[in-house]
Amino acid sequence: MIELRPLGHAIIDAMLTGLANAELEFAFETVANADGLIAVTPAFNVSYSGLFKSFFDVLPQETLYDMPVLIAATGGTERHSLVLEHALRPMFSYLHAIVAPTGVYAATNDFGAHGGSVGLAERISKAANDFARLLRACGNRTRRDAFTEDLTEMQRLLTAASKPSEDATVED
Amino acid sequence: MAGMQFGIFSVGDVTPDPLTGVAPSEVERIRAMVTIAKKAEEVGLDVFATGEHHNPPFVPSSPTTLLGYIAGQTERLILSTSTTLITTNDPVKIAEDFSMLQHLAGGRVDLMLGRGNTGPVYPWFGQDIRDAIPLTVEHYGLLRRLWREKVVDWSGKYRTPLQGFTLAPQPLDGVPPFVWHGSIRTPEVAEIAAYYGDGFFANHIFWPPSHTRRMVQLYRERFEHYGHGSGDQAIVGLGGHVFMRPNSQDAVAEFRPYFDNAPVYGHGPSLEEFAAQTPLTVGSPQQVIDRTLGFRNYAGDYQRQFFLLDHAGLPLKTVLEQLDLLGEQVIPVLRKEFQVGRSQHVPDAPTHESLVRTKTAGRNPQKSRPADRGNSHDQVDSHQWRIAPAFLDSIVG
Repeated sequence: MIELRPLGHAIIDAMLTGLANAELEFAFETVANADGLIAVTPAFNVSYSGLFKSFFDVLPQETLYDMPVLIAATGGTERHSLVLEHALRPMFSYLHAIVAPTGVYAATNDFGAHGGSVGLAERISKAANDFARLLRACGNRTRRDAFTEDLTEMQRLLTAASKPSEDATVED
Repeated sequence: MAGMQFGIFSVGDVTPDPLTGVAPSEVERIRAMVTIAKKAEEVGLDVFATGEHHNPPFVPSSPTTLLGYIAGQTERLILSTSTTLITTNDPVKIAEDFSMLQHLAGGRVDLMLGRGNTGPVYPWFGQDIRDAIPLTVEHYGLLRRLWREKVVDWSGKYRTPLQGFTLAPQPLDGVPPFVWHGSIRTPEVAEIAAYYGDGFFANHIFWPPSHTRRMVQLYRERFEHYGHGSGDQAIVGLGGHVFMRPNSQDAVAEFRPYFDNAPVYGHGPSLEEFAAQTPLTVGSPQQVIDRTLGFRNYAGDYQRQFFLLDHAGLPLKTVLEQLDLLGEQVIPVLRKEFQVGRSQHVPDAPTHESLVRTKTAGRNPQKSRPADRGNSHDQVDSHQWRIAPAFLDSIVG
């Protein structure tokens, strides 16, 4: 599990300088090597929290490509539950993750004193079962490496550029 | 100047001194760069390199003008760039400018190519940043031919064709300036450097050693793959970033406001964090020596070490004091220590003289480089080497 709060300073530093410190780098590696990701954020002002978004802003490109993701959020009232569909799902889709159809939203009522959490536990179970099915269906994940992909493209260009030209005129 | 070369690279930024809030004028900054370059020669450094930028707050838009002026006032210093934009400059103009500079400077010239990451600059020169990579490959392919072939017929995608073009003036002694390819983060740069057997310069200063290790290792492997020699014969340069005072606490106290407000990394990590994660060394000359000697542990034996000294609004006087410390206390030790345990077959840093020597020493055609294989007429480039002096032959072209 990666808690973002202890990484808050590192995330902002990475955003400002492009340099991730060792702890943040470790978090990136943990995500990159995962078979699936469960991403949870509080709902702030009609969206995910700024810290949550910032982590994905500094996460190296391609990290989430083809990765099954279960989205979840918490909030003060269930009236904000569509934050899952309107904020989290589009961002992860954009990042080419495979977002599970069922997300989990938990509001204050779910944690209330009158046993409301039974509903939450059921929703979590259902989402977890769906996610497990998705993970199995997706099979083993091959990690994408932007470093290597850039290189392959450059090799192709260089090779193409040095093809024999028909009308080479050269004098020494 | 056997073995390694030591130099400084300047971004050419006009930044207010955070202690006074006052920025130098453009003319003050430009003249400061000249003063700094001359001082670099005076204290025994080998190379001065200037950046190329086409937007404020930077001044060096016309590097060969600056370097030509410095060449006229120095005797020994090698003039270079960090970097010359291979994407937005016309390769014909690069070939002309640096050929001309070679003649004026008596061969004391090389250059470092880079792509340029400032999107808006591209259209100012009729280009598009989205084409940066293919543009780099095409432009550099042409540049190499312009420096190596008397008459060039050429057509490509990104500039008008050339028909019967002859470069004037021709490279000094028939030897093109040595080319480095500079990279901050992208592996493509290592690939193109390796492909052509050119030098690879890792900016180094904004990254943890693990990143630089990976880039340099990649370059060395690919250099060997393309048949230019063994990996440890590849030509590697590294950036460095230092601030020194005899007493290390003084260095930290004096540099902190400049670090905290620096345009690139200011208002981010603390000086201590940044120094721990990157090659930045703020301390005594001995600390700089120890840290710099450690670069070899992950880059291997290498050829060129640059330091960034004049930036972030540091006053000229301070920069000149840094150069004194560097020249008197640091570089002599580094020169000596870097030779210890250095393998015999690791080449020295290339110079015009060494390239001319190799060219005239005779050639041993074995097999052409992949880059030039398509061109059966090109006798100049068809060389392969296994030992250091012969290695340089191929670069001479």
